[in-house]
Amino acid sequence: MKDFFLETTGVGKSYGSVPALADVNLRLAAGEVHALMGENGAGKSTLIKCLSGAVRPDAGRLTLEGATIAPGDIRAAEAAGIVALHQESSVFPHLNAIDNIFAGRELRRFGGLLDRPRMQRDTQALLDRLGEKINLRQPLETLSFAQRQMVGIARALSYRSRLLILDEPTASLSARETQSLFRIIRHLQSEGIAILYVSHRLEEVFALADRVTVLRDGRFVATRPVAGLRREELVGLMVGRELLEEARPPKSAPPGEIRLEVRGLAQTGRFQDISFTLRAGEIVGLAGLVGAGRSEVAAAVFGVERATAGKVLVDGVPLPPGSVQAAIARGLALAPEDRQRQGLVLPLSVADNLLLTTVGGMGKGGFRSAKREQAMAAEARQKWNIKTASLQAAVQTLSGGNQQKVALGKWLATVPRILLLDEPTRGVDVGAKAEIYRHLRQFARDGMATLVISSDLPELLLLCDRILVMREGRMAGELSRAEATEETILALALPVQPEADAPEENRR
Amino acid sequence: MTPNARTARMGAGLGRLARQREVSLLALLLLTLFGVGAINPAFLAAGNLRDLLVQSVPAIIAACGLTLVIVLGEIDISIGGMMGLLATVMGQLTSPSHAGWPVLAGVAVTLLLGAGLGCLNGLLVTFGRMPSIIVTLAMLTILQGVNLTLMNGQWITDLPPGLRFFGIGTLAGIPFSLWTAGIVVALSVLLTRETPLGRRIYAAGSAPDAARLAGISVRRLKLFAFTLTGFLTALATVVSVPRLSVIETGIGSGFELLVVTCVVVGGTRISGGQGAILGSVLAALLLGLVRPMLIFLHLGVSATYWEKAIQGGFILAAVLADQTARRPLRRGAESA
Repeated sequence: MKDFFLETTGVGKSYGSVPALADVNLRLAAGEVHALMGENGAGKSTLIKCLSGAVRPDAGRLTLEGATIAPGDIRAAEAAGIVALHQESSVFPHLNAIDNIFAGRELRRFGGLLDRPRMQRDTQALLDRLGEKINLRQPLETLSFAQRQMVGIARALSYRSRLLILDEPTASLSARETQSLFRIIRHLQSEGIAILYVSHRLEEVFALADRVTVLRDGRFVATRPVAGLRREELVGLMVGRELLEEARPPKSAPPGEIRLEVRGLAQTGRFQDISFTLRAGEIVGLAGLVGAGRSEVAAAVFGVERATAGKVLVDGVPLPPGSVQAAIARGLALAPEDRQRQGLVLPLSVADNLLLTTVGGMGKGGFRSAKREQAMAAEARQKWNIKTASLQAAVQTLSGGNQQKVALGKWLATVPRILLLDEPTRGVDVGAKAEIYRHLRQFARDGMATLVISSDLPELLLLCDRILVMREGRMAGELSRAEATEETILALALPVQPEADAPEENRR
Repeated sequence: MTPNARTARMGAGLGRLARQREVSLLALLLLTLFGVGAINPAFLAAGNLRDLLVQSVPAIIAACGLTLVIVLGEIDISIGGMMGLLATVMGQLTSPSHAGWPVLAGVAVTLLLGAGLGCLNGLLVTFGRMPSIIVTLAMLTILQGVNLTLMNGQWITDLPPGLRFFGIGTLAGIPFSLWTAGIVVALSVLLTRETPLGRRIYAAGSAPDAARLAGISVRRLKLFAFTLTGFLTALATVVSVPRLSVIETGIGSGFELLVVTCVVVGGTRISGGQGAILGSVLAALLLGLVRPMLIFLHLGVSATYWEKAIQGGFILAAVLADQTARRPLRRGAESA
């Protein structure tokens, strides 16, 4: 028993009648980097909240070096040295680094007033330890995501933490920032701090972790050493079925006539001289670094933003610029990058979201028809295999993958013929990804013309018939399915003159 | 250590930028004072300046509380109704023709009642899980109704001299109400800047979920801020209402909007997380200047009717300043 640094025994937690976690036994060795994996909704977040005391488990025990830790008590967990950096809401955007690090346990001097000099010194020492140069007096909202995260990590370290829990820490980081985060994690590990690392990304787990624990549907599946573990094996543990074969799509049918043609499209300061075509039955990828202008092009084609030059033709007929209504009427649909803000109305029900694009067009005499709406929503739910307790449940209660299915599903009611998808599988788990791919393939066979913007190169390679690559607001080239590899895409996407200190990814 | 010193200096510069609202309010305040003074020197007479300050006292005191409420992402629009009811209670308790209590006892009960009403607002918002704008709108209306019932159409005209001291008395030649306002402002600034409680209020307003995860009780902070606002509204009532010899039904009407205006013009974000006591105080002084300015400029009686319109203009100007000033700053810092 004493061999394990941290141990949970039979930890369980239910929300209402829904069990989020049941009988989980997690064992961490001292000083290891331990990955925690699982699909969305597998219970990872609930588990780490139980560890950090943010959530009180209904059952089970938590021990650190053999000593039981009081459940559901953030302070007790902190005192024991367990600190979690939660994915959302771990920093205070309006406060500076010092106030962030000491929020809730400020240092005091005589008379109970703040001891600012000491807090500043300690903050500086913590950031020095992380090798991070941050202006201590600047509100965090003016810093980059990576810098904010460093402040969050510094905050965790300030508790003299012995177990640092990181929940999807690289979700908003560029490749370069991810590398420096990894360096810091390894550095902390060398100081004897154990790390529980929650991530979707297989590459990160293989690069970083000593062992990995997999959860599925709120239950413990397995703990394995990472050395010698095969990717397929890990994915298999996560989804519980062999997915990779299923996800690989069959060769697509020969493309049909040109559906969408973009000629010399430009928007001052964002992109210029963008031309491409999209044929019926074709899935075309649009690759490029973040900031290359991909999303802006999609927004301009759809009419959300007005282009300053160029033309968009649908079936050979020009589209009036800057009109979303016209675009929808001509069969275009756009699933935006930030689905939570632009693609969905989170507090509304699944049904209401599915019907967003059609209300008004479905009833008689200007009134809504509840019957037809219900039927349509039910059909979309079935078609997309949306996992929800009910069509009346608020969309925000769904997992990321199912939210995305709703965001895509709402467009089907408008019967689009041209789909523009911006990062369609970001934050979506492997199982839901495979389902989304399968749907997109099916649409293509039925004659849909699809444009997929994605930063996930394996995804583009798996899905697309052709891949367009943008660089710094211009079209850098086009690759056929045979030519496209991660290397050839990157060769086009990276700036021609590699600048040491100005990575495009940072421009967000 | 040099790079650190440089970052620290850069930080101080940015801090100054962030406090720009206070700077521009102060500039506008001085500009108005000396501008009107140049046209009509009587405006700058010591007596007149003192009157201007005294006029602004109730808004200044209440704004100190409301700033904290708004920093926490909530709002309290019941303070006008509170002031009206508290004035009536204070008058009826101390006036010889009513209860005739000793003045200090009546004042103490008024202050406690204010704190209690604020606490009730806070309880309804935190434990009742109701939006503060609705809770305090309901409270405003209820308190107005209760006040009318209590007054029963009768003005209170026989305020005891002891009570009037709170309104018109002086200590060391300075009006008692100014002493009170000065102390409230000083303590509020100290609270927000130099105490853990103050920092937690900003933390909770900036990111409530993160605050909870940091072990901060957001509910308790909100309860505190609402209670303090109720108490300060009572204090504002005690030191302003007895300036007049009569307590009537119109007292406090519109006061809530004036105080909200002060806080917003003072640079506090209505969505929470950001704001400063000094900004609210300066805004209260500036808004208090509008009507006297119109009078002293001798533009005719009808000119004073513009007071409200000008105050409203300040709100829009403040919001516009936020929109234009904050965005480029943030973007610039991020791409650096």
